[in-house]
Amino acid sequence: MAIPVIMPRQGQSVETCIIGEWYKQVGDQVKTGDILFSYETDKASFEEEAKEDGELLAVFYEEGDEVPVLINVAVLGKSGESVEEFRPDGDSTEGSSVEQEEAPAASDATPAKEEKAVVLDEKPEGKIRISPRAKVMAEKMGVPYEKVKGSGPHGRIIAQDVEAASESIPKLTPLAKEKAQAESLEPAKETTGLGGRASASDLISYNPVYGDDFEVKKLTNIRKLIAKSMHQSLQNSAQLTHHMSADARQIMALRKSFKKKLEVGEVSQNITINDLVCLAVIRALKKYPQANTHFIGDSMRWFKKVHLGLAVDTERGLMVPAVKNADDLSIEGLSSQLSTVAGNCRKGSIDPELLKPEAASFTVSNLGNYGVEMFTPVINLPQTAILGVCTIVPRPKDLGDGVYGFVPMMGLSLTYDHQALDGGEATLFLREIKTQIENLSI
Amino acid sequence: MPKVQFIDPKDVRKAGEVTFNPIPVNQYNKSIEEEKANFSKEDFLRIYHDMAVIREFETMLNEIKIKSEYNGVAYNHPGPAHLSIGQEAAAVGMAYTLGVEDFIFGSHRSHGEILAKGLSAIHKLSDEQLTEVMENHFDGKTFAPVKANFKGTTKELAIRFLIYGTLAEIFARETGFNRGLGGSMHAFFTPFGVYPNNAIVGGSGDIAVGAALFKKVNRKDGIVVANIGDASMACGPVWEGLAFASMDQYTQLWEGDMKGGLPLIINIMNNQYGMGGQTCGETMGYDIAARIGAGVNRDQMHAERVDGYNPLAVIDAYKRKREILKEKRGPVLLDILTYRFSGHSPSDASSYRSKEEIEAWQAVDSIIWFGKELVDAGIATQDELSSINSGNTDLITWGLKLAIDDKVSPLMDMEKNPELIGEMMFSDSPVDSMEAGREAEVNHPLEENPRVKQLKNKERFAFDKDGKPFSKIKQYGLRDGLFEAIADRFYKDPTLIAYGEENRDWGGAFAVYRGLTEALPYHRLFNSPISEASIVGTAIGYAMCGGRVIPEIMYCDFLGRAGDEVFNQLPKWQAMSGNVIKMPVVIRVSVGSKYGAQHSQDWTALPAHIPGLKVVFPATPYDAKGLMNSALQGTDPVIFFESQRIYDIGEQFHEGGVPEGYYEIPFGEPDVKREGKDVTILSIGATLYRVLEAADQLQEKYGMSAEVIDARSLVPFNYEPVIESLKKTGRIVITGDATARGSFMKEMASTITELAFDELDAPPVVVGSRNWITPAYELEDAFFPQAEWIIDAIHEKIVPLKGHVVKSNFTEPEQIRRNKLGI
Ligand SMILES: Cc1ncc(C[n+]2csc(CCOP(=O)(O)OP(=O)(O)O)c2C)c(N)n1
Ligand SMILES: [Mg+2]
Repeated sequence: MAIPVIMPRQGQSVETCIIGEWYKQVGDQVKTGDILFSYETDKASFEEEAKEDGELLAVFYEEGDEVPVLINVAVLGKSGESVEEFRPDGDSTEGSSVEQEEAPAASDATPAKEEKAVVLDEKPEGKIRISPRAKVMAEKMGVPYEKVKGSGPHGRIIAQDVEAASESIPKLTPLAKEKAQAESLEPAKETTGLGGRASASDLISYNPVYGDDFEVKKLTNIRKLIAKSMHQSLQNSAQLTHHMSADARQIMALRKSFKKKLEVGEVSQNITINDLVCLAVIRALKKYPQANTHFIGDSMRWFKKVHLGLAVDTERGLMVPAVKNADDLSIEGLSSQLSTVAGNCRKGSIDPELLKPEAASFTVSNLGNYGVEMFTPVINLPQTAILGVCTIVPRPKDLGDGVYGFVPMMGLSLTYDHQALDGGEATLFLREIKTQIENLSI
Repeated sequence: MPKVQFIDPKDVRKAGEVTFNPIPVNQYNKSIEEEKANFSKEDFLRIYHDMAVIREFETMLNEIKIKSEYNGVAYNHPGPAHLSIGQEAAAVGMAYTLGVEDFIFGSHRSHGEILAKGLSAIHKLSDEQLTEVMENHFDGKTFAPVKANFKGTTKELAIRFLIYGTLAEIFARETGFNRGLGGSMHAFFTPFGVYPNNAIVGGSGDIAVGAALFKKVNRKDGIVVANIGDASMACGPVWEGLAFASMDQYTQLWEGDMKGGLPLIINIMNNQYGMGGQTCGETMGYDIAARIGAGVNRDQMHAERVDGYNPLAVIDAYKRKREILKEKRGPVLLDILTYRFSGHSPSDASSYRSKEEIEAWQAVDSIIWFGKELVDAGIATQDELSSINSGNTDLITWGLKLAIDDKVSPLMDMEKNPELIGEMMFSDSPVDSMEAGREAEVNHPLEENPRVKQLKNKERFAFDKDGKPFSKIKQYGLRDGLFEAIADRFYKDPTLIAYGEENRDWGGAFAVYRGLTEALPYHRLFNSPISEASIVGTAIGYAMCGGRVIPEIMYCDFLGRAGDEVFNQLPKWQAMSGNVIKMPVVIRVSVGSKYGAQHSQDWTALPAHIPGLKVVFPATPYDAKGLMNSALQGTDPVIFFESQRIYDIGEQFHEGGVPEGYYEIPFGEPDVKREGKDVTILSIGATLYRVLEAADQLQEKYGMSAEVIDARSLVPFNYEPVIESLKKTGRIVITGDATARGSFMKEMASTITELAFDELDAPPVVVGSRNWITPAYELEDAFFPQAEWIIDAIHEKIVPLKGHVVKSNFTEPEQIRRNKLGI
């Protein structure tokens, strides 16, 4: 009687095996113990031996076929016997236990509709339970949560309740929301805003003394960023400023000659006083590398190159782009790069990488054009110092032999982080800038 | 179970008997006169000097402990000092012949061994080498106070360096050999071949075996000596170390020049006591500890008892045993008989032994006896010995004064640098190969490997372009991801070895290594004994010496068998060495299921609780390969969990499938596997797939969209992505297969509550396994978290779901009841 050869199950988790090689062909006579075929699971290779003598009557799977375990793969028996009853159903892979991804049964339970939370007239009995999130949310949205019915476990007010409540009570205009939050105000029952929304002026103040003598305006994002970094700067460093002034005659003469050169086309770049000051600063930094650094707590980054930050005033607020490797540039190159980054800031096309405070190793902020005579610039952390450049004013000076004359002097304000630099070092550095400005040569 | 070894029933069933050779006991009997041929006057005096220095060093510590004063110098040392006064001859004899490249490991009572080995190394190193060692150790920090104002020879300077570095370490000074982070019981100095001493009795019994394995596998010169106590011969890890050290395969299966035993001496410093328990006669039954060798292997471990009160007898034994190791016939067992006059520690009242006994041993004090022998044999005069002794007193007094001087020998400044120790817990340094430049030994190019070829035909993403899954066997599985990462590293790093139970021919119990057997010679991938303590312990020793290694624990449940190694050894040595030692050990731990209470536990919380271990648990092939690459690129110890439920799971998330090339997934970054907005479900390990089911049901039945995050790592762990998700959803369920109580899920829940309280719309809810034994497979659904449980927990604790009917009980009264009962 013919007998089937099945694909053995090698381990609980094995569902299918792959046939490696058939060592016997249909029609071959086989003896018990002869190897019929090899097969593989994911873990190992095996060989299947004949369990009885006989002729290999049929083979249902080819080499390389993936076969579900415990399925007939071949038939052994006497020549001429029928093999049909052993043939696995259909073709080789059907009927396998290979997982078929069923289309997810369309669930008849339509997603349950959330009942809208009710805003009660009275406070509910007992202690108010509210999740931290819902509480924060209620405060932000100006929802009086004491009167909201909670839908969470044990009637806890959860975020969805506050959201729903905010729809059923007079809504606040965004400005009113800000104001409500800032001043602990509650919306009145009667409202004047669009669509019944409470506008800022509808808010009832708990503090009538200060009434409505101001308007709340939201900060722009850039303003928020500036506010944060300025505040952090002052909180996280030990800043102080030294002032000095430099004889500006040489630099003004240079500016004049460049202007001439521009007119006759000898240079293509309009070299400004600020460009020249920056050049002087770069040269000073080369002599005082301790100012060309970042202070990062337990260590300092000493830069080999000068990456010069330039404070630029734009419509959207203050930006400080960096000119990388500024010490490699000629005066024309420097001037052109400074005007490019400043221009990009104003256009809003500046590469944000260049705006990171880490991008620059030192910053120059020039308020000379605005007539500022002295100021205390704020460091762009983690940089260790910033130079403020002030306006040029005529000051009396000893011209030699007891002769006094008025000389144009440029104010310089160096703010430095006392954590990183000592007063002596900072003074010497500032003096070096002054010397560079006074003796600048191209 | 190698096929080449045929077990013939005819042979093994034959009648016969096991015979033993006599084990020598105190057979050394040479006189000093005879030894004159082997030792010069200088040698003899050096032996005397070294013993006397150790005696003075420990006498000083004893006086500091009990009188808070030595030689007029006052100091209070609150820490430990386990002294070995009386055992000096054993230590010096052991170290005398050792070269610098020979390593010793020790115990809680190893000051003598450190000094003896250090002095022996100083004698053998040239002045230039010594200067380099001293200048380089912590950039000369230990050396600086020693060398200030010193005018003598370099060797004298080095001896001072040794005394000072050890003492400063004992007193927890930043200038100590290990920055004061090791202390008395853990001091060591690898440049002199002094490897870690161990406060866990028997701790070196398996670690040292791994060091010997390192020397052998990487063809490094030198032998390894494990100094362990007589009482430690009762410790499981010591026996496991012996089993690992004496495997037949070294001589029967390892090929070519790798054939042969380990270069290892297990050196029992037999002072005949534990703390108060007397080993021979009370707590052990071996009578003579050397007897143990007879039961271990055919060579009886060449065991021998040696009179450790005669330094020359010990030296003689070491000379003979070294020859055996040279012939690759190790390991060797030495039973060095000795006795400590000092108590176990200075507070020991010696209530367990008689005064007469101590006096009888003091009467044969090896230092006094040896000095007398030298004088009697005309080798030295009493004056010469006295001058050595007074020199030692000066030396130790100098060392004490310097080591307690807070100005030159400060403690670590934890006020100024509060994170100093934190910074030493991990080395966090990526290293391609632990021995760059050496080629990895392999049997064929990786492309020719049968498994690699087979993987070419696999589908590296689980679904076809229509989103239909390929059949399971066609899918590239998680085990394949592990294989690719490990195989790659085997070809990059010649020091990498892997072992564990059934790792070689079988390819690992779960077939991760299938194909590696063909690729690697025996000594890089082999079967270990069933000996989890030594599987991990030897890996630690292997890594300490500079190798990378993957030990495998077949089931997570067996981790308990390696408890000391995983909890006390592996995580400690990087920081305890002051970051001198690196620990590139990746322990693969497979988490089971289906096999009941002792084969199905997820113990992720245990290693995650122990500082100094990194812990990961990937659940997808992409993550498994990337995290394994990171683990093997690092030099920190990693407990790498794998789940047996999903070794064959295909990659369902990473678009484009698992890359064929090398890539790393950084440790500590959880991964959003599915985006959602109403609830976050954070999963650890294989529960990921049940979470996805739950997420589907939540969407279909309740219109709730779940964000699914796979933790992937436990230590380190970046909470920011989870908090980001919470900002959206306000709700979180944390799930995993571990029993909930004390699990890492609970740790996460508590941390999340602290970090994101204001974001929470409900408490973080943990859905773990029940606090029971794992039942049979058929009952597992009642034990392990199921998709329905997650939904039930959301319904009960986070937001009631309309029309939901619960199956499991997540109510508060039930939670209280279970806790009351402790279940
Ligand atoms: C695992 C462990 N158990 C117990 C102790 C406490 N203990 C410290 S030393 C010691 C005795 C050890 O005796 P032995 O191994 O002979 O070394 P010896 O102290 O004699 O040098 C004990 C029990 C320990 N440190 N570690
Ligand atoms: Mg002992």
